[in-house]
Amino acid sequence: MNDTPVTAVILAAGEGRRLEPLTNRRPKPMVPVANRPLLEHVVEAVAAAGIDRIVLVVGYRQERIRNHFGDGDDWDVTIEYVEQSTQLGTGHAVLQTEPVVDGPFAVLNGDRIVDPEAVSAVCDRLHAGDTPLVTVTAVESPRDYGVVHLDGDRVTEIDEKPEGPVDTNRINAGVYGFAPAIFDAIRATNTAGKLAITATLNDLAGSDEVTALGYDGRWLDVSNLWDVLTVNAALIHDSDHARDAPAAGQRVGDTVTVAEDVVLAGNVRVGPNATLSGATAIGSNVTVAANAVVENTVVLPDAVIGPGAVVRDAVVAGNARIGPNATVVGGNATVVVGDAVHRDVTLGGVVGDNTSIGGGATLTDGAVVGDDVQADAGVVIDGRVESGAVVRRG
Amino acid sequence: MCGIIGFVGELDSGGQTDGGTTGSVGAIIHEGLRNLEYRGYDSAGVALVGASSGLTVAKRSGEVDGLTVPDVPDATHGVGHTRWSTHGPPTDANAHPHTDCVGDVAVVHNGIVENYEALKKELADHEFTSDTDTEVIPHLIEEELAAGAGGEEDGKEGDADLLAAVRRVEDRLEGSYAICAVREGDDRIVVARRGSPLVLGRGENAAFVASDVTAFLEHTRDVTYLEDGDVAALSPDGVEVFARGEPVEREIERVTWEADAAEKGGYEHYMRKEIHEQPESLRQTLAGRLDVSAGDVDLDVSFPPGFLADLEEIRIVACGTSYYAGRYAAQLFEELAGVRATVEIASEYEFGAGRTPDRTLVVAVTQSGETADTLGAVRRANAAGARTFAVTNTLGSTVTREVDGTAFIRAGPEIGVAATKTFASQVATLAMLAVAVGRDRGALAAADARSVLKDLQGLPGAVQQVLDEEEQVREAAREYGDGEAFFFVGRALGVPVALEGALKLKEISYDHAEGFAAGELKHGPLALVTPDTPVLAVLTDGARAAETMNNVTEAQTRGAPALGCVSAGDTYDTLDVSFEVPNVGVVEPLVANVYLQLFAYHVANDKGRAIDKPRNLAKSVTVE
Repeated sequence: MNDTPVTAVILAAGEGRRLEPLTNRRPKPMVPVANRPLLEHVVEAVAAAGIDRIVLVVGYRQERIRNHFGDGDDWDVTIEYVEQSTQLGTGHAVLQTEPVVDGPFAVLNGDRIVDPEAVSAVCDRLHAGDTPLVTVTAVESPRDYGVVHLDGDRVTEIDEKPEGPVDTNRINAGVYGFAPAIFDAIRATNTAGKLAITATLNDLAGSDEVTALGYDGRWLDVSNLWDVLTVNAALIHDSDHARDAPAAGQRVGDTVTVAEDVVLAGNVRVGPNATLSGATAIGSNVTVAANAVVENTVVLPDAVIGPGAVVRDAVVAGNARIGPNATVVGGNATVVVGDAVHRDVTLGGVVGDNTSIGGGATLTDGAVVGDDVQADAGVVIDGRVESGAVVRRG
Repeated sequence: MCGIIGFVGELDSGGQTDGGTTGSVGAIIHEGLRNLEYRGYDSAGVALVGASSGLTVAKRSGEVDGLTVPDVPDATHGVGHTRWSTHGPPTDANAHPHTDCVGDVAVVHNGIVENYEALKKELADHEFTSDTDTEVIPHLIEEELAAGAGGEEDGKEGDADLLAAVRRVEDRLEGSYAICAVREGDDRIVVARRGSPLVLGRGENAAFVASDVTAFLEHTRDVTYLEDGDVAALSPDGVEVFARGEPVEREIERVTWEADAAEKGGYEHYMRKEIHEQPESLRQTLAGRLDVSAGDVDLDVSFPPGFLADLEEIRIVACGTSYYAGRYAAQLFEELAGVRATVEIASEYEFGAGRTPDRTLVVAVTQSGETADTLGAVRRANAAGARTFAVTNTLGSTVTREVDGTAFIRAGPEIGVAATKTFASQVATLAMLAVAVGRDRGALAAADARSVLKDLQGLPGAVQQVLDEEEQVREAAREYGDGEAFFFVGRALGVPVALEGALKLKEISYDHAEGFAAGELKHGPLALVTPDTPVLAVLTDGARAAETMNNVTEAQTRGAPALGCVSAGDTYDTLDVSFEVPNVGVVEPLVANVYLQLFAYHVANDKGRAIDKPRNLAKSVTVE
């Protein structure tokens, strides 16, 4: 039995290229869902589990994280930062915390949202001296994750994104419990290329040392752009932070329709006859002009949705401008990410930071427009538009 | 300019109980001093009082962290001080607290006792150990106690009373001061305020006093601001406030902002943290105030009917960075509100001849609301009968009590001595005021107002875009940071930004930096230009970029490297470095300023300067 307080290490150094263009200017853990960064939801779960010291491993665009979390007082925790200057894998990230961690610790991913129970279960087992621990959960599409093979509560193998058929839907939930002995184990791991923590765990699994901990609570992962919408919707639906009374600084006219499942930041401006509905989150200093319709959409701070625009199933990034009467059609689409083709995902479109979509323009078929794009009035955009591009009519 | 803190109260031993205060008296005061260090940091000290240990004083020159607070286990209360020297150099002897001859009374003081030389003569038989004006106060208290203050006048038997003595001493002091006094054998802290800030914190069986709420915000949010002339006694049982000898009730207000907003978690320097906070602080500045569709602004300020329509002149008074915010705003007032607008350095301000008081609006711009020079200017304007208005960051600050109306910039606490986010929020607030005045006067068409408000609304996002380019600025700082001198130039709205950019760099890097109206370069300063003097130019909308570029070229032909902040979409091929400024119209120069802030920061950081505490400077200067 060990009563040493558990420290939480949260991995937040990654870039998250699959979420481009949203991650061109912010690390993936800072992509907001329900108006708060993914990482904030993780920090809240950790704090609610009774952990009061958090070490954030930061790297890519770390100012955004440091600026948002400071020293953690807003969450009644102490937050310290450790820098992983080059992203050499999760094992390498954990190793960076060795100088500041000298007792049992939990490790979480900064971009996967779990309930506090997942964390407190790890803490309980850490106090009982069981390490290393891997939290295991069941999902519908195990092949996208690390499939966990078990023998009783022993982990025999973690099979990262297996190609062939799998006979289990249990996957690695990305919540671990370790003792400082893990640092030596990470150093002893031989891998070509990136040093993943799962490689170390596979080494240890060979000698029956890794304990699995079942978890069946909320597990929300944002791997792809459309997951921003589903995770946003999930958080809005099972939280009580759906629309409260208008906060100070909001300018929302009497003729505006705001559905129950809409989250508005404190200082948004919504013009007459605008309609907001369907699991929509509107960030700080956003303007939704008269007659605009915004549905199942995540709007980041400082964006402007012009008069009469219709924006459905979309992500509108920071300071982006959607011109008057522009349309993001919405619905299901086929989206290509890298070499992979994803069919039938719900994604009307993504508009990158500081991009301006001209009046009357249309985004169809899950169009993904990069940041700093200037799209002329009336253009029709489908597919991908690279950052910095100018889209002309004709 | 100094920071003071006092604490008296019951402490919880061990675990935290509801509403209680944990820690030791010494630790609470030491932490309070750390929170106040922005107000001065050349010496620090504490005085602790215990029932059996009596009065223990420790003080030394140097920063708060260098001070060892003595361990006084039975301490029940105490006071602390962090100093920014005015009278006498920063030495151990000149550090506060100061004591009387026998060491029974200890006093900490912020402000200036103007008649201290005369008082010192009256105290000829007392032994003085410092060069400070403050030291007369404990000796005066000693005299009043010896004369039996409080004993006979209350018709009571027994010892003279500290509260009565401070009240009498208060009558004899001239100048500005906030003082806290403690005495061996007395379980109270007695405080007095005239002209310098002092705020009380009301805890559970505990009371705090400080120059600024940040000193004790982690312990209590219920505060009482004292008014000029107030004397108060603090004990674990509560707070008694007296004005002109009579007990008075002073309102308890609740502080809603977060103390941790004033901690630098995760950043090496407050300045960098505050630079990066600008998108969020600007969102707060603008929140709920822009009505873009109506082309109007809701600043929650009011003027008498017809006052704005008949307005003859807006005079802005301010110092330092706030003065440059004023220079920016004056151009906006003339352009948007159609009214003559002038800017005066507060310490130089006089109402002046040829003006009509009731057709003049004097706008004081001060981050802290406590800047002595600016308060002096407000008082001169009030005395002349002009209408006064303040633009400040600090609720409850002195300036807000002395003016006819106030607009708060809502930038949140700023700790770095070099003002960054407050400059941005000051200009944004003044721009909104210019629109409000212009609309009220009928000088600004709704469509034109709408365009300015759209630019303002785009300000936070534009600043974020600049912050995203920090790496480019870091490289430029590395390449050009070793220059012999730095010249900042601009025209129109680019002038105040050039001046502010130069001020930032000289403040924190100690390099020679000067800002000029670009047209002036050829009238003199060009003689200083060499290949080792980088020129930084504001080449954006609102800053007459093409003309400015001509002047930059003059410098370049003398071999100077040229760095420019350029509106997106424009290019000047000859620039050595070009920083892109998003298109936000009249606030583009303000966005360009963020590049200059980052440049100053990285130049200073590369040189290892004490960025948050530049030598010889303090955050809010409460002496004239």
